[in-house]
Amino acid sequence: MARRKKIDAPEEEEMTSNISSMIDCCFLLLIYFLVATSLVSEKKLDINIPASTQASTSQKPKVDPGNIYVSSSGVVTWNKDLTVGEAYDSSLQPGTPAYLQQRRMDSLVESLKLLKEQAEAVEASPVVMLHGSGKAPHQRIVDVMAALAEADIHSVGLSTAAED
Amino acid sequence: MAKKNARSQEEVKSEMDMSPMIDCCFLLLMFFIVNAAQITVSKDPSVNMPNAVSASEMKDANGCIVVNVFADPEVMGAKSAKALEKFNKTYAAYPGTIWGVADGSQNSIGYNSSQAQQLSDFITKQREAMEAKGVKGEQIRLYLRGDADAPWSRSAGAIQAAAAAGVTNIVFGTLPAK
Repeated sequence: MARRKKIDAPEEEEMTSNISSMIDCCFLLLIYFLVATSLVSEKKLDINIPASTQASTSQKPKVDPGNIYVSSSGVVTWNKDLTVGEAYDSSLQPGTPAYLQQRRMDSLVESLKLLKEQAEAVEASPVVMLHGSGKAPHQRIVDVMAALAEADIHSVGLSTAAED
Repeated sequence: MAKKNARSQEEVKSEMDMSPMIDCCFLLLMFFIVNAAQITVSKDPSVNMPNAVSASEMKDANGCIVVNVFADPEVMGAKSAKALEKFNKTYAAYPGTIWGVADGSQNSIGYNSSQAQQLSDFITKQREAMEAKGVKGEQIRLYLRGDADAPWSRSAGAIQAAAAAGVTNIVFGTLPAK
């Protein structure tokens, strides 16, 4: 009896290998990747470009198209007469209230919503044309796209005629 | 004999099989590594992303053809010297790069303003490769990562190149403005 016990005991000790630290490591890496992928996620703005690819049809749209002009300095104008966005100031730091203020174009969103309502009243889809100067900063175009997304318009025609 | 049986049962109970769990963990780990690499691989750090007030979450990067649009080197350098250094290093072989893409083996290719046709050909090739893999046409999108300070003509040029290659769904890459 005594002899048997002595043999058994060391055998059991040898059998156990400690893998808990490895599992800890695995989970740590797993969590790291989970967090890393969700933290640096970029957002998106989905836009369909119908007019730039298809030749313009001779059919007259049911509602007047809305025109957005972005000048080379970044001034955004709605239908040539209403200024909805000031010139782009690249020195503003992201996250500051002034920066956020520049990103928002509430009057443009309102105009776009109105256009959408008018178009839906005659069962048509709103037609918006974006005339961007070739020198306009990309950020200003993204601001316009964000306003379009806010007004729930996901299709915009890009004017191919460059006006510098 | 009966005693031996009882002891062997006890031994079976005490040992826990960890290997399937570890297998699972590694599988998940691998999945996330691969997944993360696929989305981040073409994200060029030299692009200073624009911010948007209303943008939606990027659910999957499947079918995205990523094109980076760069600002002028001087403008890039004024914002971040590190970004300019990285840009010069990555696109040393491509002078005057304004559009940057990554090919199948993740090598960066730069195109200058006179190479819109080459960019279009690249997008066509990518689109065909995706279609061969079974990605549906409407799922194939141009993921435009334009620098906030890049002139619009460059982004418009990339959109036109994509349109010529048969890709009309455009996704503007942005960061949330918060």
